[in-house]
Amino acid sequence: MNEHIGTAGGPGMDEAAGLDDGTPMRAADAAVIMQDAGQKARQQLQVSHRVTFTVWGLALLLGYGAMWLGVRGQHPFHGPDPAAFATVTLLAVAAAIATVAGNRADSGVGGLSAARRRIHFVAVLAGLAAMFALEGALARTGASRAVFGVFEASAPILVAGLFYLTTSAVWLDWPLSGLGIWLLAVAAVGGFAGPAGVWAVDALAAGLAYLLMAAIEPWVRRL
Amino acid sequence: MSQDGLDPVIHAPARLRIVVTLAALHEGDDLSFTKLQELIGLTPGNLITHLRKLEDAGYVNTEKNGSGATARTSVALTHDGRAALDRYTAALRQLLDSVGQQ
Repeated sequence: MNEHIGTAGGPGMDEAAGLDDGTPMRAADAAVIMQDAGQKARQQLQVSHRVTFTVWGLALLLGYGAMWLGVRGQHPFHGPDPAAFATVTLLAVAAAIATVAGNRADSGVGGLSAARRRIHFVAVLAGLAAMFALEGALARTGASRAVFGVFEASAPILVAGLFYLTTSAVWLDWPLSGLGIWLLAVAAVGGFAGPAGVWAVDALAAGLAYLLMAAIEPWVRRL
Repeated sequence: MSQDGLDPVIHAPARLRIVVTLAALHEGDDLSFTKLQELIGLTPGNLITHLRKLEDAGYVNTEKNGSGATARTSVALTHDGRAALDRYTAALRQLLDSVGQQ
């Protein structure tokens, strides 16, 4: 494996040596360089979702869990108090910041991937804006607090599910499509637990799904 | 092309690193000059020299966008560059196999 290829004796490598620094390169050295450079590039350029999944999983468990603790046993149901809402908002902001920080891995990468990221970011913002607009429409039609309770818990999960599903379609990322479908199912079914129970169902079903994704991500990426 | 079938433009440590790094990007993506420099660990001058050789061979494409503080130079592997790396990898594998059999 220490053979010289294209060394100073080879016509091609005379030229190559002149183009580089004059140092002949052996085949084995070239193979090592290819492996090292490829591995380093993949590590530094490909986004790992592990941190993002962990943060969102914990945010859902803690945030939605806190909401559930605040609304369980309410008769009649009057919804979460402002402090619980503030907690969930803070957790969501912290999770969003962690997501952006996690995506720093591909900073420096431009072209199609950057364009896709921008479109996805706009899609999430549009989805959340539509969600709040719909909530306004529900309020205008005189929907009960119970309806709001189900909507406020399920709608963000629905938006997140659609986001992951569309992202997986772009990148052909099957684990992500699994998460997207699961979140859509959680959003659709969780509401049947009622305006208080939906927070607990979503906290566990969605939060644990995120944590599971975080746990299996390194293994899945190796496949 | 050398007698071993290894493309002399790629078969140089720095340029091999550059081409392999750019090949790790998705098709249609590019990398900023700064990030490439950070990954390869070359001085700007050396990196420019190697990029020019790869660009002359049609293996990479460099593009400068914006001006002043917002200027960004991006580097991307061309279709020819990707094909050349595939050929290089196959030739290298063949060479290593033949040596292993001896």
